[in-house]
Amino acid sequence: MMFEGLLVDLVPYGKRFFALERTWRNNDSAFWSSGGDRHIVSRASIQRMADRWAEEAEQMGPSRGIMFGVQAKDGTPLGFITINWLLPHSRLAMLGARIGDPAYWGGGYGTDALLLIIDYAFGWLDMRKLWLGTTSVNVRVMRQMEKTGFALEARERCAALMDGVWHDGLLYGLLREEWPGRDAMVERLGLRAKDGQNGSSTR
Amino acid sequence: MFEGTLVDLVPFEDDYATYLESWMNEEAWFRAHLWDRREPHPEDAVKKYIEKMEKNERAALIGYQTKAGDPIGGLIYDHEWSRVRKVEVTFFTGDSRYEGTDEVLDGLLMLARYCFETRNMHRLDAMSLAFDEARIDALRRAGFVHEGTLRQHIRWDGDYVDVELYGLLEDEWPGYAARIEALGLQASDLEPKPKPEKKLEDEKALDEKILAP
Repeated sequence: MMFEGLLVDLVPYGKRFFALERTWRNNDSAFWSSGGDRHIVSRASIQRMADRWAEEAEQMGPSRGIMFGVQAKDGTPLGFITINWLLPHSRLAMLGARIGDPAYWGGGYGTDALLLIIDYAFGWLDMRKLWLGTTSVNVRVMRQMEKTGFALEARERCAALMDGVWHDGLLYGLLREEWPGRDAMVERLGLRAKDGQNGSSTR
Repeated sequence: MFEGTLVDLVPFEDDYATYLESWMNEEAWFRAHLWDRREPHPEDAVKKYIEKMEKNERAALIGYQTKAGDPIGGLIYDHEWSRVRKVEVTFFTGDSRYEGTDEVLDGLLMLARYCFETRNMHRLDAMSLAFDEARIDALRRAGFVHEGTLRQHIRWDGDYVDVELYGLLEDEWPGYAARIEALGLQASDLEPKPKPEKKLEDEKALDEKILAP
């Protein structure tokens, strides 16, 4: 186990997760996380994509991203959360996430994973600023950003095409000095482990 | 050659490749490439960069020069995204005498023209360090709309500085001719700089090769 939250744990994105990649990439979770793309992809093309990512990651050096699998406390793989892009000299990191199974949307799982990766990026990687992008119709992420203290920094007009309609791209940022720490944020949000599950804090 | 009002767009080769060996180590380059670490670029790195851009089907590095053929710098589009018809644009003023002139503005307008009217883009993304007034002025005059400020985003000479984001949509682009008419561009009439020394040597070597029996 790498980082233990209340509803989820962050673990290596290994074979158990990869086996579900085809399902997740072909469902609505990919549509939302990609800003409107509808992947219709085979297992073979997913494998090729994974190989290409691995190759690119090797070439990228210090700016290489970091990917965690997000799993429920009972071990069910739910999706991923990543640092897509690191700029060490500016201590800047971009986050990305996808909860692949829609049954787990809206239950605080993504938020719990987000709090863990924020703490990791500030506490272990010594980042100074985190940022991420979403679209102006992704109400779940917008609400999540607001309650976790991210500031809306830019609205890129008509930057996302989703089912034939143009929507704005939103960019959010969080500075280290604005982050009260995971424990304080858990308290503020009232995040609690589900009954019968042993959620614990990492710090 | 793609002809504009004060400047023309040309392939980034010959003199441009030679000039880039110094341009790529100067302030204007790093302002245009604000994500990059400030690090020296020896000749090999410059050559590799040009090759990389030539091979990249989603990007291009284009030279722009005065009507008299004096190279000014480079225009760049990158990360062209076909599904959303969106592309990132930037420019650098290699010859610093042209900083803030209408030649640079015309270069940016020509890049917008190329992206909208030839490559059929829907949206252009641009960004600037918050203190880069010449770039911001060019973006505004070209019609780009300010869309937000990324706070304390980039490490720059001891500080964390803001980055300003701009966008231009195809339905905001009146067409190159209309934009030019509204702006009334003025040439700065600077004297063309001497050709780079290295280029003269290369030409001499090439001439000798051609003339050799």
